[in-house]
Amino acid sequence: MGAIERLAISKNGFVFDPATGNSYTVNSTGLFILNLLREGKSEDEIVDALVENFEVSQEEARRDLLDFLEQLRVNGLLEASNV
Amino acid sequence: MKRPYEKPVINKLKVNFMNKFGTGTFSLSKKVRKEIEGVPVEKLVEEFGSPLFVFSEKRLRQKFREVKNAFTLRYPNVEFSWSYKTNYLDAICAILHSEGETAEVVSEFEYEKARRLGVPGNKIIYNGPYKPISSLKTAVEEGARINIDHFEEISDLEEVAKELGVKVKVGIRLNMDTGIKPQWSRFGFNLESGQALDAVKRIAAGGVLELCGLHCHIGTFILDPSAYEKEVKKLVDFAYKVEDEFGFKIEYLDIGGGFPSKNRLRGVYLPPDVAVPSIDEFAEKICGALLSSLRPGDYPKLILESGRAIVDEAGFLITTVHASKRMPDGRRAYILDAGVNVLFTAFWYHFNIEIDREVVGPSEPCILYGPLCMNIDVVDDDVNLPPLPRGTKLIISPVGAYNVTQWMQFIRYRPGVVLIGENGSVELIREAEDLSDIVRREKLPERLKVKWEE
Amino acid sequence: MYKVAVSGINAVDNPGPGVGVAKSIKQGDLEVKVFGLAYDAMEPGIYMDWLIDRSFLMPYPSKGEEPFLQRLFYIKERYGLDVVIPNLDAELPLFIKAQKELSSFGIKTFLPTEEQFKLRSKGELPKIAEEVGLKVPKTITVTSYEDFVKAVNEIGFPLMVKGVFYEAYKAFNISQATAYFNTLVSKWGYPVIVQEVVSGEEMNVVGVGDGEGGHFGLVAIKKLWITSLGKIWTGITVKNEKLLQAAQSFVSAFKWRGGFEVESIVSENEVYLIEINPRFPAWVYFATGVGINLPLRLLKAALGMEPERDWEYEAGKLYVRFTDDFITDMDKFQEVIVNGEA
Repeated sequence: MGAIERLAISKNGFVFDPATGNSYTVNSTGLFILNLLREGKSEDEIVDALVENFEVSQEEARRDLLDFLEQLRVNGLLEASNV
Repeated sequence: MKRPYEKPVINKLKVNFMNKFGTGTFSLSKKVRKEIEGVPVEKLVEEFGSPLFVFSEKRLRQKFREVKNAFTLRYPNVEFSWSYKTNYLDAICAILHSEGETAEVVSEFEYEKARRLGVPGNKIIYNGPYKPISSLKTAVEEGARINIDHFEEISDLEEVAKELGVKVKVGIRLNMDTGIKPQWSRFGFNLESGQALDAVKRIAAGGVLELCGLHCHIGTFILDPSAYEKEVKKLVDFAYKVEDEFGFKIEYLDIGGGFPSKNRLRGVYLPPDVAVPSIDEFAEKICGALLSSLRPGDYPKLILESGRAIVDEAGFLITTVHASKRMPDGRRAYILDAGVNVLFTAFWYHFNIEIDREVVGPSEPCILYGPLCMNIDVVDDDVNLPPLPRGTKLIISPVGAYNVTQWMQFIRYRPGVVLIGENGSVELIREAEDLSDIVRREKLPERLKVKWEE
Repeated sequence: MYKVAVSGINAVDNPGPGVGVAKSIKQGDLEVKVFGLAYDAMEPGIYMDWLIDRSFLMPYPSKGEEPFLQRLFYIKERYGLDVVIPNLDAELPLFIKAQKELSSFGIKTFLPTEEQFKLRSKGELPKIAEEVGLKVPKTITVTSYEDFVKAVNEIGFPLMVKGVFYEAYKAFNISQATAYFNTLVSKWGYPVIVQEVVSGEEMNVVGVGDGEGGHFGLVAIKKLWITSLGKIWTGITVKNEKLLQAAQSFVSAFKWRGGFEVESIVSENEVYLIEINPRFPAWVYFATGVGINLPLRLLKAALGMEPERDWEYEAGKLYVRFTDDFITDMDKFQEVIVNGEA
């Protein structure tokens, strides 16, 4: 099971990783993306979902998703895919 | 119905950093500033571009009057002399001259700039360790007050006096121990070692100079008002010694500047609103020390060369977020269109940083980089900011002191400077530079003309 | 029911006084609700619900006066707040400066004036020592590395290197001293204090000055066993006349208002003044335990009541600090993290 799947996520944005004991806070957009990632959605699908649900342009959503994935990688919650 | 968007953020909780109010200089209240003195930031940038320095005439005049009142209410004979090096933009100097400040200059360039602005020679105080002899001659001819920095300058001035056939009134600059560390000992003559007395003897022996003033500048961004109390007491004691033993009359005591502004000095834990004493506290110590140590009926002129304390808080810099980056350690960084090239004082302070719009999303620790391709170009390395979209304007303050004199041209043009008048008018007081400003002095030998073969 | 906020609830290996203050005022004859003011979601006091009824994360004092006061006003408006007892050095300048403003919003304090506070700054100690008849170890305040080296050469080893607000280290050589110096500068900025080490018994006095030259009680103690950080682990009450006399002279000469701790070293016939802290020490509950509930008396003074002034205590009472632990759910932690209060 990947790190994303095992996270305990509460609705108020508190995230707990039972394997590492680390805790995180995540904002509502981040929570939205985390949930889609757990469902196994692709980057394109997530961008579409963001545009559909939030007042955001395709371009900004893609840029921010990249940044969020990078945050997850920095925190060890996603594996670095391009190294 | 679509939901309002904020940029996605996830933050790992770290021991000792579990405080949602953050550790950086950006506090819990996201500081939003949509206007400066009633003029929208957006409009300023639209009209004059970014980055842009903005000065408030109202703040400048208010601050000066506050400082002036603090002293004139406590001592009957005070002169304020505008420290040109702090900010020698014509418009800024002109405002302070209109408030009654004379000009305090430290180079022939500043001297010429003051004269060009219409300041008469006898309203200029000429300080500094390097005064070319030609400039001393001009200063003597035009009646400027000159404060001597070293023995060679005594000789230079004697030469000028003889050449012009006049007796020249001069001041000498002293340095002394007032408890302030580091002690500024490189300017003037040291008091404790007896060097200052030697300088007086030397002046008396020469016979063509008349000592009439003492000058001392104990340091910069002084947070301890009692240091000035010590300075003043030592100056008064020395003045009487000079008067009693040499027959000179000390007409003025110039205590320099060094009063702090409400800027956040690096390396000071407490915020400026708690750490920085009010100007009244300084005035109380200084005037109290004067009145308690001067002889009855003797009120030599007290000269103050306050710069930073008067102009710093009148200045803002508007800068634009050009890009954002995620650093390998997870921190977010922003690249701005202004850096240490125009914000020299970033090396000393953590500025107050405000944003031009409401941005939703949690604040996180950020680094602000300038536009230079140099590692030192960091405006702040620890600011808590919400996720900023590209194009967000940051309003950085206080930046009124030293930046528009110490800014450098390195790889970029220096930005424009505007003044918001007391009535809300916006006037350009220094145009943004362009290529012509930089190449005007260059000469390319004909034989080196660049020609590309087709 | 009085609502009292207490800071310094970081009951860790280098504890703040907050938990001791909370414990003391809960044991008094006033009905109080205690609010904890914390700077980190992991401060143990937040989870000690038998002493602290609700806790709030505070912005750091270094963030500026306004956000800090706004946070207190928020607590006042939302939950009611009668008195704040600040217990951390880094907060005190802000509280002292803002005491009038706080009071105008109905939040009372019992603090020294700005002048009194400045007096006890480390540079002014010799002045106080002279006034109250004590000696001081040689002390040099430095604001640069060069001055630091000079001071170290002047004083010689071993010596103490102290931060402007917190932390003091004993250094036996230059590399140790330099390491401490660098740590302190990066954490607390300048100045840094270099002090001669005097040997003798470490004795301290805790008290509350009434602001008019009198006091609401004094208790002197000796540290018997300290941690590697110099924090008391076991102590004993003493009645050292010279030291208690000096503490009384201090209160009367400077009309001290509020809680304070006098730190001293007693050797043979001399008492050296090491430091005066303008707040309660972390072991303040010791005084409560021997019958002089100083935090409660300070609270009463803040509320405008007339506190007790008796201070008969027995010498030879033992203070024992011990470790304990308890288990709780993550809920409260989550709430503090997300909402800043719980």
